[in-house]
Amino acid sequence: MILVIGARSSGKREYVKGLGYSDGDIADAVIDGRPVVMNLQDIVAADPGRAMDLLPELLRKDVVICCEVGSGVIPLERSDRDMREATGRLCVALAEKAEKVVRLVAGIPVVIKG
Amino acid sequence: MRILLTGGSAGGKSTFAEKLAVRFGGKLWYIAAMQPYGEESEIRIARHRAMRAEKGFETIERYTDIAGLMIPERGTVLLECLCNLTANEMFDPEGAGEDTVSEILRGIEALERQSTDLIVVTNDVGSDSGGYGELTMRYVDALGEINRVVAARFDAVFEMVCGIPLPLKGELPWEC
Repeated sequence: MILVIGARSSGKREYVKGLGYSDGDIADAVIDGRPVVMNLQDIVAADPGRAMDLLPELLRKDVVICCEVGSGVIPLERSDRDMREATGRLCVALAEKAEKVVRLVAGIPVVIKG
Repeated sequence: MRILLTGGSAGGKSTFAEKLAVRFGGKLWYIAAMQPYGEESEIRIARHRAMRAEKGFETIERYTDIAGLMIPERGTVLLECLCNLTANEMFDPEGAGEDTVSEILRGIEALERQSTDLIVVTNDVGSDSGGYGELTMRYVDALGEINRVVAARFDAVFEMVCGIPLPLKGELPWEC
């Protein structure tokens, strides 16, 4: 599994399409039969308490795309904090198992693992 | 050696910081700047303290005035984290208020003098769209300034991303 992270609109999806995947291969904020899932943070936000339960299914994907959401001022709203924490912890777990982790910065892929 | 760890929330800073401290070895001190707020956080803090004790850390809870802290025995010191410490100094009645930046920098200097190795955890709070109230923006600016001064002086700085340490400055004496 390749984990692709980066800020919103940093070029993550374009990078993954450059790996040979089409739009039809990319599931947006849903885990289904497609080989790529994007906007993982939105899936986590729906139920942050159960984020870690997603791990086995995500590890079977070719590519997981997630926005980096942990930076900036810590939100006042509990639900926002929970989403950030759960997304971060899930990404740490995914990165640990991923064969490659790529961080997009202004469209430039920076390989941070693998 | 003095190491600063930065990065967003839940990026693996604490885990890596503890790993580094254990690697440096000697007497291990953990300075906790996070104040408990309610029963839920007290339970969590107690659990973390027990987990660190298993690794050999002794925890000192210190929410303000790090400069006045006497470390009982020289060793490796882990301070977590500057974001809580800055909030405490700025917003607590017993905090440094307007002198937050200089007081925290004085505190870090005091820890440098009292430790063999020092690891400081901070947070990247300036990387969003801003637009908060004046107090919050003052907090963001204060922490940003502290981070810049500490990073300039320390031997190594890492950004933690998904549990992966990205070297921004310096290097460790071993492979991580």
